[in-house]
Amino acid sequence: MKQIGIVVLETYRRQVKSWSFLLLVLSPFIFLLLSFGVGYLSATATKGNAEKVAIIAAPKQLTQQLVVDQKNTTTRYQTVATAQKALSNKDLKGYLVVKKTAGRLQATYHGTEKLSQTQSSHFLQVLAAYQQSLNLQQAKLNQQQLTALQTTPQLRQKVTHVDKNNDDAVKLVSFMLLLFLMYFILLTYTTTVAQDIASEKGTKIMEVIFSSMPARNYFYGKILGTLSVIITHLLIYVLGGIAFFLMAPQLAITKKVFNENHELITKVLGNLANLNLLYVLLGVIIFTVLAALCGSLVVRPEDTSKAIQPVMYLVMVGFFGALTLGQTDDNLIVKVASFIPFLSSFFMPIRLINEHPAGWQVGLSLLLLLASTVGLSVYVGNLYSGLILQTDDVGMLKSFRRGLKIK
Amino acid sequence: MLEIKELHKSFGAKKVLKGISFKANAGKITGLIGKNGAGKTTIFHSILNFVESEGEITFADKKITAKTYQEIGYLPEERSLMPKLTVFEQVRFLANLKGLTNHEIRKRLEKWLVRLQVKGKSEDKIKSLSKGNQQKVQLICTLIHEPKLIILDEPFSGLDPVNTDLLKHIILDEKKRGAVIIFSDHDMTNVEELCDDLVMVNAGQVVLDGDIRFIRESFGLTRIFVKTAVPLEELQQMPHVIEVSVTKQGNYRLVIDDEKSGAAIFDKVTGGSYVQTFDQQPPTLNEIFKLKAGDE
Repeated sequence: MKQIGIVVLETYRRQVKSWSFLLLVLSPFIFLLLSFGVGYLSATATKGNAEKVAIIAAPKQLTQQLVVDQKNTTTRYQTVATAQKALSNKDLKGYLVVKKTAGRLQATYHGTEKLSQTQSSHFLQVLAAYQQSLNLQQAKLNQQQLTALQTTPQLRQKVTHVDKNNDDAVKLVSFMLLLFLMYFILLTYTTTVAQDIASEKGTKIMEVIFSSMPARNYFYGKILGTLSVIITHLLIYVLGGIAFFLMAPQLAITKKVFNENHELITKVLGNLANLNLLYVLLGVIIFTVLAALCGSLVVRPEDTSKAIQPVMYLVMVGFFGALTLGQTDDNLIVKVASFIPFLSSFFMPIRLINEHPAGWQVGLSLLLLLASTVGLSVYVGNLYSGLILQTDDVGMLKSFRRGLKIK
Repeated sequence: MLEIKELHKSFGAKKVLKGISFKANAGKITGLIGKNGAGKTTIFHSILNFVESEGEITFADKKITAKTYQEIGYLPEERSLMPKLTVFEQVRFLANLKGLTNHEIRKRLEKWLVRLQVKGKSEDKIKSLSKGNQQKVQLICTLIHEPKLIILDEPFSGLDPVNTDLLKHIILDEKKRGAVIIFSDHDMTNVEELCDDLVMVNAGQVVLDGDIRFIRESFGLTRIFVKTAVPLEELQQMPHVIEVSVTKQGNYRLVIDDEKSGAAIFDKVTGGSYVQTFDQQPPTLNEIFKLKAGDE
């Protein structure tokens, strides 16, 4: 066990200390920062009022009500002439003139481009409310009539069963996140482990290592070491996520979006932090072991991409299969695939998010996945010495058959 | 003591080892020699459990298992280290596997670097060292945990004469420490110089096994080295002389088919007077190797 621990530590050290790992971990953050940065810059780069709509309303009390927000609307221009001048100088996106003629509001927008959907709905809403109050005033109704007119319908909801997952947006986001997380991890780490093993294969240092510990144990150490790297990678994102979760409500840039989607985010996190994690973990292990087997079948590291193809195809079948069939209810293929090791890591989490599969189904699927993971690991572990100590470039199948003969 | 009994190994239909048996004793150096493909590496791999073979291999009367690995030091035929690691990181990884603590490794490594005259520090990257120094680091990895069984597969290949001598001294020191040392080499001079015992394998079988001195003598004192005024043609005509050649030193080298004829040849070439050289010897290991391996 101690020797396995040494190999785990060495594998972990070597991978985590590399520049490629640092880049891998930082790339999503860099991407996010760049996106935010570009967004922020483009938002602030527009000088003064160039993107704003000036409000010039005859009834003065309307002016403030028509302001959508300080970023997109302004009340700085009091007259049409000044607004017109500003527009021709490209200091304004446009201006809205509101007049009241014979008890009727007339609003006209002048601009170089159309109003946004938000602005036009806001203006319409405010104007309609004001027109309504004008209409009521002109109708000279008594209190009773006014009260009767202000009667509004009521909508009550009586829900007998609260289904926490019965939210399409939550399901979709959870499903997509999980799917892309699996895909990203598998694409990255199956290649990494296969390349690492291919570069070790045939080198005499492996003979020295195998003269110190059984090849099987070295293989287990290697897999566990890679798994530790993956967990570290995910942990960095989890910590980043927690930091974002705590900071987002405080930051001006994210506050609004976060508060609007707080419930969605909490539910999505709930969907991810359950049995699905176990599926992701076992899925990553079984795919890593298969990638290690493929990596051990080639002599040159540059042949890794060829060797890893079967694993990639399997990952793609899982990913695209889940992507295509994941949102269809009660699909037989999804049900069957959720029991097949390798594919179950993609398909059972979908079922766990979208429906409630029976306990025995989840149990059986997990058992099959676990048994296959352990079985494959033991099998490859026993073959490992025979596969790794070969130095002849004889092709993958022949290399595999030779490995069987040596041990 | 390392004892191998009736070792058989086949790769598919090809029989590589056909009942190999020999012993290697503590405090002695055993040379394992044979032509390329004779089965030497498979014997090493069987000892190290890299391949499963039929037969019995014991060290200190116990089967070699994962527990025994800590007592083994193995230097493979081709050198290979992890180039991105520092010398310390490389040695630490391998020595940790052999059960040494980081503190012990640090202490021993510094001594070994001095002893082997490695031009580089423990914090230098392996890839920054010269090939010769990398070989020395690999040797440190093999010996740092003071193994009781040392397996050296062609340890002198690629070494210059100075480093060859240095390594010979190290091997002899390990012998004095009481380790069982088994090594293979194609250079019979090294084998003859260092080994106490010899195991020669040919086509998967042991063809010679025992004390190197006795093995040579068992072939008879059939080589005579002489410095004489007697002409070569006359030497060739002498009874029992099979072959006459001239050595680099200008001596005649006579191959005879009966060691007892040495006395008659002595009388003839000296004529009762002084000769500078007359030496009757068994055949060299190289000659025995060629004879047994069937190259002659």
